[in-house]
Amino acid sequence: MGPLTTILIVVPFAGAALVAIAPLRSYWLGSLAALVSLLEVGLWITAVGKFDFGAPGLQFSQQTTWIPDLNVSYHVGMYAFSLWLVGMTVVVMAACVIYGWWVDRARARAYFSLMLVLTGSIVGVFTAQDMLLFYAFFEAMLIPLYILIGVWGGPLRLRATITFVVYTVVGSLLMLAAIVAYGLQEGTFDLTTIHQSSSTWIFLGFVIAFVIKAPIFPFHGWLAITYRESPPEVSGILSGVVAKVGLYGLLRIAIPKFPGPVHDWRVVLLILASFSLVYGSLLAFRARDFRGVVLYSSLAQSGLIVIGLLANNDLGFDGAVLQMVNHGLISASLFLIAAMVERRCSTGEFRLLGGMARGRPALATVVMVTGIIALAVPLSTAFAGEFLILAGVFQQGWGWAVVGAVGIVLAAMYMLRAISGVLHQDVGPAVPESALDLRVGELAVVVPLILCLVGLSAWPNLISGHAFGGNQAKAAIVQGMP
Amino acid sequence: MHGPDIQWYVVLAALLFATGALGVMLRRSPLIILLSVEIMLNAANLLLIAFSRLHGREDGQVFAISVMAVAASEVVVGLGMIVALGRRNVELDVDKLRTLRG
Amino acid sequence: MNAATWICLLLPLASTLAITAGGTKLSRRATGWISTVTTFGSFAAACVCFGILLSEDSSQRTHVTTSWTWLSAGQYKFGLSLLTDQLSVMMMLIVAGVSGLIIAYSLGYMDGEDEERRFFAYMSLFVFSMLLLVQSANLLLLLGGWGMVGLSSYLLIGFYQERESAVAAAKKAFVMNAIGDATFALALFLLVQQTGTLDFPQAFGAAPLGGPLANLIALGLLGGALAKSAQLPLHTWLPDAMEGPTPVSALIHAATMVTAGVYLIVRCHILFENAHIVRDLAAGLGTATLLMAGLVALVQVDIKRVIAYSTMSQIGYMFLAAGLGAYANAMFHLMTHAFFKALLFLAAGLVIHALTGEQDIRRLQGVGKLMPRTRAGFLIGSLALVGIFPFAGFFSKDEILASALASGWYGHILYVVGMIGAFLTGLYAFRLVFIVFTGEPSPFAREHYHAHHGKEGPYSMLVVVFVLSVLSTVAGFLQWEPLWGLVSKWLDPIAPPLVVPTSRDDWISSLVGLLMGLAGIAVAWAMYSAARVEVPKPWTILERKFYFDELYDVVFYRTSDLLARSLGALVERPLIGGSLSLLGEGFSSGARELGRAQTGLVRSYALALAGGLVVLFVVFLVVK
Repeated sequence: MGPLTTILIVVPFAGAALVAIAPLRSYWLGSLAALVSLLEVGLWITAVGKFDFGAPGLQFSQQTTWIPDLNVSYHVGMYAFSLWLVGMTVVVMAACVIYGWWVDRARARAYFSLMLVLTGSIVGVFTAQDMLLFYAFFEAMLIPLYILIGVWGGPLRLRATITFVVYTVVGSLLMLAAIVAYGLQEGTFDLTTIHQSSSTWIFLGFVIAFVIKAPIFPFHGWLAITYRESPPEVSGILSGVVAKVGLYGLLRIAIPKFPGPVHDWRVVLLILASFSLVYGSLLAFRARDFRGVVLYSSLAQSGLIVIGLLANNDLGFDGAVLQMVNHGLISASLFLIAAMVERRCSTGEFRLLGGMARGRPALATVVMVTGIIALAVPLSTAFAGEFLILAGVFQQGWGWAVVGAVGIVLAAMYMLRAISGVLHQDVGPAVPESALDLRVGELAVVVPLILCLVGLSAWPNLISGHAFGGNQAKAAIVQGMP
Repeated sequence: MHGPDIQWYVVLAALLFATGALGVMLRRSPLIILLSVEIMLNAANLLLIAFSRLHGREDGQVFAISVMAVAASEVVVGLGMIVALGRRNVELDVDKLRTLRG
Repeated sequence: MNAATWICLLLPLASTLAITAGGTKLSRRATGWISTVTTFGSFAAACVCFGILLSEDSSQRTHVTTSWTWLSAGQYKFGLSLLTDQLSVMMMLIVAGVSGLIIAYSLGYMDGEDEERRFFAYMSLFVFSMLLLVQSANLLLLLGGWGMVGLSSYLLIGFYQERESAVAAAKKAFVMNAIGDATFALALFLLVQQTGTLDFPQAFGAAPLGGPLANLIALGLLGGALAKSAQLPLHTWLPDAMEGPTPVSALIHAATMVTAGVYLIVRCHILFENAHIVRDLAAGLGTATLLMAGLVALVQVDIKRVIAYSTMSQIGYMFLAAGLGAYANAMFHLMTHAFFKALLFLAAGLVIHALTGEQDIRRLQGVGKLMPRTRAGFLIGSLALVGIFPFAGFFSKDEILASALASGWYGHILYVVGMIGAFLTGLYAFRLVFIVFTGEPSPFAREHYHAHHGKEGPYSMLVVVFVLSVLSTVAGFLQWEPLWGLVSKWLDPIAPPLVVPTSRDDWISSLVGLLMGLAGIAVAWAMYSAARVEVPKPWTILERKFYFDELYDVVFYRTSDLLARSLGALVERPLIGGSLSLLGEGFSSGARELGRAQTGLVRSYALALAGGLVVLFVVFLVVK
């Protein structure tokens, strides 16, 4: 079943081309794009069905020489954890495309082609097994994002775009430099065969590139303005999916390929990650609007996932993968909910909101369920992820887990504040009497995401126990993930 | 191997190149500057072909043909611009055409 | 057996899902009935489990059923498994039974509320969570149930969501419980590290036998238990939680959820036995709480808050027992307390229901004359609470004190404090009885009292209060330690007691406890009914509840608020605004400087090119 990965990459690109040229009106362009994104979900489900979770290593792989002199090849394939991240990507992208269709975005042709290009590129990043291919997809992913933010964003969209471009370009260039240095040093760019390295400089190049994307304090300067000014579904993609690319990079390249430098820098990185967790949580607690809470909580969650990746044991790695998927779904749902609230009240600021639960049961249920999963109430899938991560890092050192536990309490504080700020108490001045409950179209976007989360809550082991071949995370990482 | 030694070609090419370079630097007419650039390109071509013959390989000749193609397109664009300038009654003096200064 | 276990757990969840999915298609009445019937269904299933266990030999009564692996990583596996043994069946019976009664009561109490559907969905969710808590066969799942009851409690406290105080109370309860969850989780991390598993028998068997590690594990668990059971120092959320509807207070904040801490200690008694410092700490904190809560209850004027403080105080007794190792006594008191405290709340609920939601005892004065049946129920509940023969509390509370008497010098201190607590119990309980239920009705009560079709309340409420009155009267006879002990015998294989009082201890504590209770009642009578003694002016420190709220406000809320603000101002804004504007300005000024090099003179460019070439040429010559 080699070509399935390639099919997963190509279908969205083909769909984008089709949307770009199809002689249809904007509504039908949207439905075409939605159809393509749902087809992608279907293909992914097929892939899950055929995936052998007991076997270690790469599956559905395909390799064709691309630049023979440099040993560069088109090499794609999926590990179990890539499979889950791809799944999270296609599900979130489908929800976001359908949302864009539902709100009838202007310049539909460009919008929907870009969304599909974005889908294909992200799937490519998660499946590329050659570093230059990885880089190519990585860049291909950023271009549609620049345009989506710059054209369809909020009033400060230009500033947001420039900020985002500056940060990401710095990250990309560092990554390119690291890739070239690493590839030339080892004589190949193929991630499955390249040897582990002990070069601190190359390691740091990768790490900085990835933590800018994740983001981790102090590399999160782009976060606030970008997430606030992007169109909400793009914010959801950014924090839900694109941020995971950074974390995936750590898991796929920086950690398995550089065992020595990881060991040397573990404490520094753990300090930064723990600080991100507490810092993001505290800022989320003070944020003045709904999106602010979500975006700073993303910073906190990135910190948590990095903590898991650095725990250096099965618990930490499995928990981190589980939490990546969880947070992708949660964050996308929360941004979409923010969008739905903002559409009704034309603001997300808490001092102007409140009392929306009364008479709007669907909205109240959706906000409540997503919110309580986001704050990792025990028995939710987010709790399962956090539990594994912290249990893992506990074995690395008790202090990290204590900081994580503080993060749990702070998460309860900021998330409850956000829920109450929207739903409870007196009706806010910006909430019109006529503001409707969620419509069928909106429910169709957000309920599937929530159902995924609820399903995962019943069985988080679907991911945590099936993220690495044969459930041997540590062993795979130690061998450099061949 | 027929013809003069390689040194002669190198010296000739150097002379040609110097002539062209001086022309670019000293003259003010865009037409002459374009001509001088052509001379420099041909100096390079001469060297390419000479060394190609010396080593008995064709790479240099291929390059020379590419250079000629580039030179031709350059002349087309350059002359076109000069003609356009002339039509607008702009004085053809590169020192006065300096709207691109920083 | 397994089927009954799973049915017992899943019926309430099914009810929640059905009500949520049904939405407005279900009538309000129907949702109430769904919730009630499913909860009684759970109770029936629990009875089946109980029956099966009864028919088995006492050493064979442990059954574990696993549906699937809930979470795993490497060699660590945590299954979705349920445990049915003597202890969990006892809890299942109490939880499902009392929940069924209280949800049935809610049919009448919540009738006509705007959002009955939401209420019953939450109630069913709570029952599910609580059953999960008591049925789970490993600590991770137990923590899951633990958090879920906290969640349902949050949802139900904040049920009147447009009321600011209710929302604040709900958040406070959740956050305090999250602190407990966090220490609980830390204990589990340590346990996972030490033993590699969280399944009950294996983890307990492999746990460290003493020393700092054992103490830390027990301390973490104790933190969770203290928060959930509203014991010092994590108790301040419980009085505020009375913002929820009265059935919620009865079910969650009296009968079931708040006693989960006691269940946890009994369930994990091996871990606590390995850590004697923490065990003593638990007993000490329980005792301190029972005294503190008894004192504060004396001056409260809100009828539900008085009962809430009384709940804290009674759970203090249970902690005292569990800490000393008298597990069966703690569980027995947990059971009788569930009956009589639910009864007190529900009787109070009848009063509140009949008087348009009024809860201030100064305005409710003398309402007992208008509501004789309620008065009878409340009186039975109070007598059981104070521990007067033959009501339930007499049997269960005095046994706890007897165990304290048998536990050396530390136990003697706790015994004395516990006896003072018994006196305070009599005083505050009968302060309520005398003020609210005796004497002439106040003008307010007369004016606002409205009978429900000529009765004191709907049938569903009255019947439930009657049933609980009966239970509060007879449940104590399950166990009279000097003569017979059904509960102790039942639980012995699960949690053998560490201290067994002699029958001399039993008789002494029964007698002294009875006398202390009667003394409390007598003082209350003198102060509030006969007015022989002037009521002393309440101390401010009691009215302020020992300043715990103020303290926590400063220590937690204000600190984190200040920290967040200063991080925002000192780090985040400079980083976001600052880094970018600095970058931007740097680039534009740099560009301006560089721009000067662009003269626009073609020939100077050519010169620069040639110059560059020469430089390169020289470099090549030199470097070669």
